[in-house]
Amino acid sequence: MAGENHQGFWVFIEQLQGRISDVGLELLGKARELADTKKTYVGAVVLGNIPQEEASPLLSYGADRVYLFSHPHLEAYHALAYTKLIASLAEREKPEAFFVGATPLGADLAPRLAAVLETGLSAHCVDLRLGEDGILEQIVAGFGGAWLAVIVCPERRPQMATVMPGVFKKPEPGKRGGEVIPQAVEIEKNELTPLVAEFKVRERKAVALDGANVVICGGYGMGSKENWRLLEELARLLGGAVGASRPAVDEGWAPEEVMIGQSGKTVHPTLYIGAGVSGVMHHVVGIQDSEIVVVINKDLHAPFFEVCDFGVVGEAEKVLPVLIERLKEKQQVG
Amino acid sequence: MPLAVVCVKPIPDPKHWDRLSLDPQKGVLRREGIPTVINPLDKHALEVALDLKGRFGWEVTVVSMAPPDTLKTLREALAMGADKAFLASDRALAGADTLATAYTLAGLIEKTCQPYDLVLCGNMSLDGSTSQVAPQIAQFLGIPHVTHVGKVETEDGRTLKITMDLKEVQMTLTYDGPMVLAVTKEVNLPRLVNIMGILSAEAKPLEVLDAQGIGLDPSRVGQVGSPTRVRSLFKPDIKRRRKILQGEPEEVVEELLSNLHQVGVL
Repeated sequence: MAGENHQGFWVFIEQLQGRISDVGLELLGKARELADTKKTYVGAVVLGNIPQEEASPLLSYGADRVYLFSHPHLEAYHALAYTKLIASLAEREKPEAFFVGATPLGADLAPRLAAVLETGLSAHCVDLRLGEDGILEQIVAGFGGAWLAVIVCPERRPQMATVMPGVFKKPEPGKRGGEVIPQAVEIEKNELTPLVAEFKVRERKAVALDGANVVICGGYGMGSKENWRLLEELARLLGGAVGASRPAVDEGWAPEEVMIGQSGKTVHPTLYIGAGVSGVMHHVVGIQDSEIVVVINKDLHAPFFEVCDFGVVGEAEKVLPVLIERLKEKQQVG
Repeated sequence: MPLAVVCVKPIPDPKHWDRLSLDPQKGVLRREGIPTVINPLDKHALEVALDLKGRFGWEVTVVSMAPPDTLKTLREALAMGADKAFLASDRALAGADTLATAYTLAGLIEKTCQPYDLVLCGNMSLDGSTSQVAPQIAQFLGIPHVTHVGKVETEDGRTLKITMDLKEVQMTLTYDGPMVLAVTKEVNLPRLVNIMGILSAEAKPLEVLDAQGIGLDPSRVGQVGSPTRVRSLFKPDIKRRRKILQGEPEEVVEELLSNLHQVGVL
């Protein structure tokens, strides 16, 4: 299954009612870069009930070929139908790599697809690169979070990876060539099971964290939900947004949408302030592109102090009110 | 009686994760001496099955793939109320990635749980966090799967109504045939183990099978059967100023603000 027969870097494009997800475009940008290095093409795979013209913008984001499966039955996501259609296309076209956004839908689809294709899949990658031997190196944070691992799939193809949203930058659209290739959609009735009884689209909440210039992140060391208002006040003063580490989300102090880290959001602010965050690698990989990292933690041995610019040793609930007061004074003076 | 199969993963107790060390040569964790616990989300999966048992008389079988020293952890699943357990345990299974793990668990289910009506998993494990095994088990078994399951309802103990939470989309699905469900913590609140449960668990069947006993293809299990490899491990090289400020809150805040001013972010 290995070898030179397999060409091209593919990206699964997730869309909802014709709106293309950002992570798909981010992955197209990365696939373009890798494909240029290997002098091969970029393929985008789209499923849904969408007209051809809605898929063609993908060409301007870096795809050379857009494989479009459009059918009313594909409007709602069906794991069996989606996997069968994509797998038979991949078996015919033989891509060397296939990237899927690590969204809930992507995490449902990609493992089954990898099992059909009997190939390897690495989860929640934080980087993708080519090794000297041309094999795709998939970087994941693992082993309790303290190490990064380079995962490879040396023999089977395609080399598959899911990648967290926000890890790669969305490319600028440009004028490029390429073609949209409509695919035949043949689905058996049993491939639409379990039956979808209801399909509810939630109102899309704009998460202030996306693109925020200042990010204030609360962790388990915040101690309580009541203390969260300190973070919100600090964010307001600095014109930033509030995020949370996984333990704080697990405690119910903040919603899952604002979780920062490997299985949550990746942020790139100018200033990141982590309050009561211990700094396990799963979290740190989500903030590593921040320009300045400040940590407030009472435990001098917290791993975050090793990878911050300024580390304040102290209890977040004591330090934050002082910081807030001083900023208010400054703003009144200024 | 319908049969629910629950996949349970024993993981190193998160309370002791600071004691995990790494073997950089082999690229594996040294976890000797660290006690294992049931992966937290797997308890939610087990609770779905135990609810079907309590209300509709289902049988509940637990399956797992792990080293033999995790038997005690599987006893806990029996103490919660499962009827029996099967453990795939064999040196040949070590080093499996998700594909080889799913192949092994699917083989174990086909060997020991026929005919089954439902397979339940936690949506992810706390240690590996890949969320990949459940859909892959379903593919090997040739049945549908649903992940991110936040609700399982049934009126007749046969047709299940499942809520799948894909963040921007919420889907409600119905099905009465065998399928794999991967559940989130929203699905229920797992029961606690009581003393009666612990006592009765001792007498419940808990069988260990090796790869041959399950009838697995040796080329598809363990490290040999895993398409992915760990090529290398590295400590991330994050270069930062690492300036530590200690003292009274007023002092350190003042120092912090002047530092932030100096680097131009305030």
